[in-house]
Amino acid sequence: MNKSYILLIEPDRIFARTIQKALESNGFKVKVFHCGQDALIAANTTTPSLVVCEVQLVGHSGIEFLYELRSYSDWQNIPVIINSIVPPSEFVDCRQGLSRDLAVAAYLYKPHTSLKQLIKTISLTLNSVANEAT
Amino acid sequence: MQSESTLTQQLLLSIAEQIKLPLLQISRQAELAAMGLDPDYEQVRILAENGMHLIDGYSLGVKLTNRHDFELTPEAVSVPAILYDAKTQLSSFANLYNIDLELSTGGRIGPVLAHRQGLQSAIIALTSALIEALPAQADGSQKMLQLATHKCRYGVVAGVYGNFPSLSNDVLRTGRKLYGISRQPLVTISHTSGSGIFVADEIFRVMNLKLRVSRHHRLYGLGVVLQPSSQLALI
Repeated sequence: MNKSYILLIEPDRIFARTIQKALESNGFKVKVFHCGQDALIAANTTTPSLVVCEVQLVGHSGIEFLYELRSYSDWQNIPVIINSIVPPSEFVDCRQGLSRDLAVAAYLYKPHTSLKQLIKTISLTLNSVANEAT
Repeated sequence: MQSESTLTQQLLLSIAEQIKLPLLQISRQAELAAMGLDPDYEQVRILAENGMHLIDGYSLGVKLTNRHDFELTPEAVSVPAILYDAKTQLSSFANLYNIDLELSTGGRIGPVLAHRQGLQSAIIALTSALIEALPAQADGSQKMLQLATHKCRYGVVAGVYGNFPSLSNDVLRTGRKLYGISRQPLVTISHTSGSGIFVADEIFRVMNLKLRVSRHHRLYGLGVVLQPSSQLALI
């Protein structure tokens, strides 16, 4: 059974619960946060295996959260998947920045990403990290 | 100065962005069912109804703006009754977000002069937007919203209040400029397009009222000042 710990940053409580339910049924351990600041505090206690993050948050954006996450040496290699309501086309100009500076493994557009696709992307990302480590 | 049609188009864009959220939530619930997990059908019903409230509010705003089938004649309206009705309609929606929706109508508040349907729709749209926004606040410790009314120097305030310390008139002013253009016009308050707030704002504008940031006890929120109906207060 998979017991990877996923840190989910999702501002909408209902949507977060749905994703959490789907991930937990696939053997992941999930902690949900509705804003980046709370997620950083939690990551300090237990380092997550992977972060799934929305960019459109209240106050500080998800991108700001990712810059802060990456500024700590311990967290530079945590894989990050963006699952957002903002279409990726709006990040065309800074796509390089997302992958190079923030090491975003995948950018998923919520309306076009089913729960199955999200789970598959998480599994593939975790597998590729595990393969790199061995 | 923006024309009224530009305003309603902007509002429509804002709603189009907002309505994605309940549709997405419903669609993912259906997917849970397909995955063999228990979907929450009650949740689906509440989300769909809330989406429809928003659309109803928008169409009322447009009809009032265009004066279609509507007379804007004010009548004597009981604010506590309007707030109670909003609480009844939105309690289940608030429960989905783990929020206690409370009524705070202390003191003797007489009737006010307002367009009843407009006031009712605006309060529902406003409350619904703040219910979605509250859990995403950085300090999400408090999970309570108050539908409240109190007297002030200029009349009777009716509004919705919660733990929104970053809410200010500047934030609201910027939001008014950006809605329909920005995905997140009230960035310090809501992670959505906050269109319920702008639907309420538009309805109040047509009723010659102005939505303002105000306080109720220690809570911050949005409210509108209504004029007391002096004629009925004598009875």
